[in-house]
Amino acid sequence: MRYQSIKSARWPGALSFLAALLLLSGCATTPPLSEATRSAVPDRHLIDEVPFYGQGDYQCGPATLAMVLEHGGRAASVDELIPQVFLPGRDGSVQPEMLATVRRHGLIPFVIPGRMDALLKEVAAGRSVAVLQNLALAWWPMWHYAVVTGYDLDQERLVLHSGETPRMDVAMGRFDATWARSGRWAFVALPPGELPVSTVGREAAGAISAFESVQGAQPTLPAWRSLVAREPSLALAQFGLGNALAASGERENAVQAFRRAVQEDPDFAAAWLNLGLVLRSLGQTGEADDAIRRAAAIPGPVQERAQEQLEKDRPKVRD
Amino acid sequence: MGFALGVDVMKKVARIVTPFVIASFTLGSVSAMAAPSSVIDGLVTTQEALNADQASVDRERVVELLSRDEVRDQLVAQGVDPAQVEQRVAALSDQEVREMNARLDQMPAGANAVVGALFTVFIVLLVTDLLGLTSVFPFTR
Repeated sequence: MRYQSIKSARWPGALSFLAALLLLSGCATTPPLSEATRSAVPDRHLIDEVPFYGQGDYQCGPATLAMVLEHGGRAASVDELIPQVFLPGRDGSVQPEMLATVRRHGLIPFVIPGRMDALLKEVAAGRSVAVLQNLALAWWPMWHYAVVTGYDLDQERLVLHSGETPRMDVAMGRFDATWARSGRWAFVALPPGELPVSTVGREAAGAISAFESVQGAQPTLPAWRSLVAREPSLALAQFGLGNALAASGERENAVQAFRRAVQEDPDFAAAWLNLGLVLRSLGQTGEADDAIRRAAAIPGPVQERAQEQLEKDRPKVRD
Repeated sequence: MGFALGVDVMKKVARIVTPFVIASFTLGSVSAMAAPSSVIDGLVTTQEALNADQASVDRERVVELLSRDEVRDQLVAQGVDPAQVEQRVAALSDQEVREMNARLDQMPAGANAVVGALFTVFIVLLVTDLLGLTSVFPFTR
């Protein structure tokens, strides 16, 4: 009797599960490719020269890094990467540490927008793209890093270096279903001076700044210069360039960059303060005080520090 | 005479010590040059400017340092070699440190290994694979 009731409960459950699967399958059949995307990239492209490294147990993170790093001109072995990125307690590697490890090896990791067209544009431009997939299901995840190295729009296929398989041929629909479960996370690893094909903004400035914290100002200058050239109205980029120039000893150029930052965004207190401090170090005290006063007048996180700097200056003026 | 000897000894000591003192000053200033913040004192760093939603840059700095300590402890607890952990934490951005602190336990850890897959899960994944929803078994491609 009791057995009977359990059995009868099982079948409706199984049926509704199958129904849910059929509903879900609708998502997998159509890869989200607009006509605009199709015309924006060539019909097919394969980056032949991306090296392949097979993964040992749980080592798809280090293997993925080894492939994109070597393709970006900064070769590193899987064995060298394992202690830098693998997390033994989780039997895997987490996203922030994947990015951090790219930085340690001298390339800048840019997370690209989670869209198929953004991914294809990078591949079309010759960049291998590292992706995070959930190969299984949301409630039974099987997280996996792989490298996209090619695509074919007519066949709707992608080419991936994945796991033990180089140049794995995967249907775009299937790939997109597994990629969607990671929130469509993907990044390119580029030498300083190169930027992603997709639109760049605040996130790109963040990526460059994080790289600068690890590698220092001078190696980062080309990246800031490219970002400023591409997005001249992005005040944060001008600010970042100014800081990197000041730290590299190019103070006059730093002044110019900070000036452009406050031109683009007159409420950018940190840029006013830094402009003032660099001018002060160059002995241009009048202009310096004007700039620091602007910073001290803008409410926010920098105000306190700007006011302190004004206080510091006062006794000198009285002398 | 005792005094004269003292001066003599002092001179000898000074002759030996002075080069080291000079060297240490020089080295000190070289490393100070390398640190961006000490080139011009008080500059707001780009990382600080990126953390736009904070109350004060200086207070934020302290919080940031503390949370880096926490991430370091978490990584060691997850089995990372203590000799490696310092550099691993140093390579994270401020934002990544915040993310790691908030949800390291729930973060996806890319691994790709079928860990103790139950038979039912095997069947489910086989079906979803055949439907093109998942990509677990190579033979379904």
